[in-house]
Formats: sequence, structure tokens, C-alpha cells
Amino acid sequence: MANNWTDVSALDDVPDEDVMGVQTAGKDLALYSVDGQVYVTDNLCTHGNARLCDGFLDGFEIECPLHQGKFDIRNGHPMCEPVTEAVRTYPVKIEDGRVFVDLG
Amino acid sequence: MGDIPVVFPIRPEWESKESSSRIPFSVYTDDQVYKRELERLFYHGHWCYVGLEAEIPESGDFKRTVIGERSVIMVRGADGAVNVVENVCAHRGMQFCRERHGNKKEFVCPYHQWNYKLNGDLQGVPFRRGVKQDGKVQGGMPKEFKPEEHGLTKLKVATRGGVVFASFDHDVEPLEDYLGPTILNYFDRLFNGRKLKILGYNRQRIPGNWKLMQENIKDPYHPGLLHTWFVTYGLWRADNKSQLVMDELHRHAAMISTRGTGGAKSDVTAGVTSFKEGMEIQDKRLLDIVPEEWWGGPTAVMMTVFPSVIFQQQVNSVSTRHIQPDGHGSFDFVWTHFGFEDDTEEMTQRRLIQANLFGPAGFVSADDGEVIELSQYGFEQKPFHRAVAELGGYEVENTDHMVTESLIRGMYEYWRKVMED
Repeated sequence: MANNWTDVSALDDVPDEDVMGVQTAGKDLALYSVDGQVYVTDNLCTHGNARLCDGFLDGFEIECPLHQGKFDIRNGHPMCEPVTEAVRTYPVKIEDGRVFVDLG
Repeated sequence: MGDIPVVFPIRPEWESKESSSRIPFSVYTDDQVYKRELERLFYHGHWCYVGLEAEIPESGDFKRTVIGERSVIMVRGADGAVNVVENVCAHRGMQFCRERHGNKKEFVCPYHQWNYKLNGDLQGVPFRRGVKQDGKVQGGMPKEFKPEEHGLTKLKVATRGGVVFASFDHDVEPLEDYLGPTILNYFDRLFNGRKLKILGYNRQRIPGNWKLMQENIKDPYHPGLLHTWFVTYGLWRADNKSQLVMDELHRHAAMISTRGTGGAKSDVTAGVTSFKEGMEIQDKRLLDIVPEEWWGGPTAVMMTVFPSVIFQQQVNSVSTRHIQPDGHGSFDFVWTHFGFEDDTEEMTQRRLIQANLFGPAGFVSADDGEVIELSQYGFEQKPFHRAVAELGGYEVENTDHMVTESLIRGMYEYWRKVMED
């Protein structure tokens, strides 16, 4: 699959040890920063109708605000019920202070 | 006042301390008695029927039903075990499940989306940690809120032979002890380990007290008299070999009969109502008998398991009948007709055709719904009076004949033990 690197945000805008939502190129994304490293997943929870950017980041785990399901932001794996389905993750690169995401 | 008695007694007055043969009408009409029955007979110390395992074969399959008046859900969990949980959200008390049957991965109350596992554990509370707004977190549940303290009410569950019972009372005795060896024997005869196949349901609301349905199936006096259909076609005969048995506490019973071999026109039916010679059933499968190996003799066994269920074998028609009380003067009656996995298609058809005798419009059972309604009318207008259940005497005993109301006296003997302080 061809790369589709897309500029989604300024690096400085991504909050440390927290999450923010970005809507771009028809995508609803959640951007996280942990130990200076940026991670990106789909923003919608795979369980209920909720955005992970409204949830709570604890280490590498994002907790959905609706039903406390958790995902590992590094690989999207579901970590506890009620979520059972992984959330999609995206490759990230930083260039000139911008965050690029490969939307595939 | 003269000789006219007080019409509305404060509490049921029994004429005799020893015998329960004279049943005060107010046990059918009094709301406080009824509430106490729910408390003592349905919610404490007893097992109640909830369904058949065949109704929920796959993980996540569920059926909504009731115990007494409390809505519950029978559901097969992710681990394959049968759970029964109360259909009341732990948050604000809503009856969240409205479908009668279905399949779910989890239960979600639509009001605030509290989210439960199939075993009733609370797993998610929306905005439990609050909502982020302008860099601050607002609201949310208190820090000390513990999801494990806010699950659905979980019932104790027992399954045997594919039948599911549940109890709100976790200290209830084991199901086998509850049924007792005599009734267990007949229970295991019907539910002998073969997988059951659901054939269909009948549902009806009968405007009468729930106990009247138990009594109806503990009363072998009426079938040959009320059910002219039975008599007309020789299905209920005075020379049927028969037996009435109870558990030790006399709350459960079985009426066992074996259809006589004498021709339908022999003398024994002559004295009993309308034996109409000229009338003939076109589809003989309604009436004739195809003996099945598991019967071990009897052509009919009617089991009353107190307080909630009747297990029926009438020739080739087998069903459960679930009594679901709704106020002192009404109950829902839910019939589940079933067969067995090894039935031939012909046998399945036969069971279905014979099921026409039963249910709200059944050739036979339609009569029962109506007499229960009319009995309730009688009780309501004359609550100070009492019924006379003295056929066969005053005692409570097993018999080898049908000309007795012993089983009804037995049930009320037990009822008084549990209900009176």
C-alpha cells in the first residue's frame, strides 16, 4: 500500500502525557505524547459511541470516557472489557516540528 | 348486622387448626397475603422455574422472564454457563431489557449506558472519571466508587436435565433436595438427559389468583367433569390406572395415570357426562397413543413444582407451564412446548398436533382458564367464605386413585406452615 503521509498537527500542540483529537482528511484521530514520543490512533472507540480524546491517558493506556475500556496506544490492542476489538493505529513521523501520519 | 358476617376479614381465618380442607377465600383476594406470598414463597427459600437450556443454546443468548413479579434475564455467559440476573439497572433502577429473547455481548441500560457483563458485573460507567473541559476535569463519580459493588443482582442457578431454576435466596437448599426423591424420580423420567428441542410458546393472562393454577393440576376431580372434550373422546376414563404422590412437605405433586385398555365405549364412561357416540376426531393423531420408551408405563404425568411451574406429559405432548403472578387476582401463564433432539419429524408433528389440547385456546385447557376466572369472581364477592376441598376426606396422603382433593390439602398444609407466623 502506498504511503500517504499527511501533516496533521504541530508537534508543540500535542500535550505531554495526554491526548488530543484532530479531524483531518476525513479522519477523526487521537494524538498522544508519551516521553516525548507521539502516537496516533483512530479517535472513535471500537465499543460505544465515544471519542478517545475525551478519555484518560495512563502511561500507554487510553481509557475510554464512556465505559472504561482501555487500549494500548502503541499497537491498539484492547486491554480490558468491554472493549474486545483493537483500535487502529497509524505510523507517525516528525519533520520540522510537524506531526505526519501515514493514513495509508 | 344480624347474621350477615363481616364481608372483608382482616386476615384469612381457617376453620380448623389441623386440616387445611376448608380454604378461606381471602387467601385469593387479600393483597397483604399476596405480598407475603411473593416474599416467602417466591423470593425466599424456594427455587423458581426460569426456562430451558435449549432456549439459550449459544453464548450471549438470553431470555427475559420473571420470578414472582421480579423481571429477570436468563443468559448463557461467555464461559457457557447459565446466569440469571435481575433486570434492574444498578444505577437508577430501570428495567433495561425489553426484548423477550435475543443475543447480546453485554447488557447496556439505555438511560445512561451503564454497561454490564453477561454475568451481571458492572464494567463501564459513562463519564466515571468526569469530562475534560478547558483543561479541567469536571464531575464524574466519586473516587471511592467501586464498580464491583454495583453489579446486577445475581441469582443462584441450578440446572438439571436441561431445565433451569433460579433463586434470589443464595441459602436455598440444593434443587435435588428441594424436589425430594419422589418428585425427582418423575422429573428425571421426563428430563432424562436428552437435549430438548423448543417447539413453540403459548402465552395467556388469566384473571385469577396464581395458586388456582397449582390447584388445577393438583385436582384430579375436575377433568372428567369439566373437560367434556376429554370424556367425549375417551381420554379421561374412570378406570385409568392412577396414582397421586407428593414430596415430604406436600408442596409438590405428581398425578400419574395410564390410559385404560378397555374400549372407549365400555361402561366406565357411561356415568360421566357427555360421551357422544356419534362424534369422531378426523385427525387421529390428536388422540391415539404412540408409546415412547422413556414413559416406562404412564401415559400422563402432571407434575406441580411449587410455586412456579407445571411439567406436563399428556401422552405425546410435553410442555412446561410457567406461573407468573401479577397481583393477587391475575397471573400470566406461559407454555413452552418442546420435544427431544432424537424425535422423528413424524413425532414432532404429533407433539405439535397434540399441543392443540393445551394453551389458552386448547380443546381442554381453555376450560381451565375460564373456571379460574369465574372462581376468582366468586372469591372477590364473598371473601369471608371458604372452599370445601374434602373429596377423599380431610387427610393429606398419597393415593392410588383420583377421587380425592388430597393434593390441594397438602399444598395448603405447606402454605400455612410457611405463611402463618
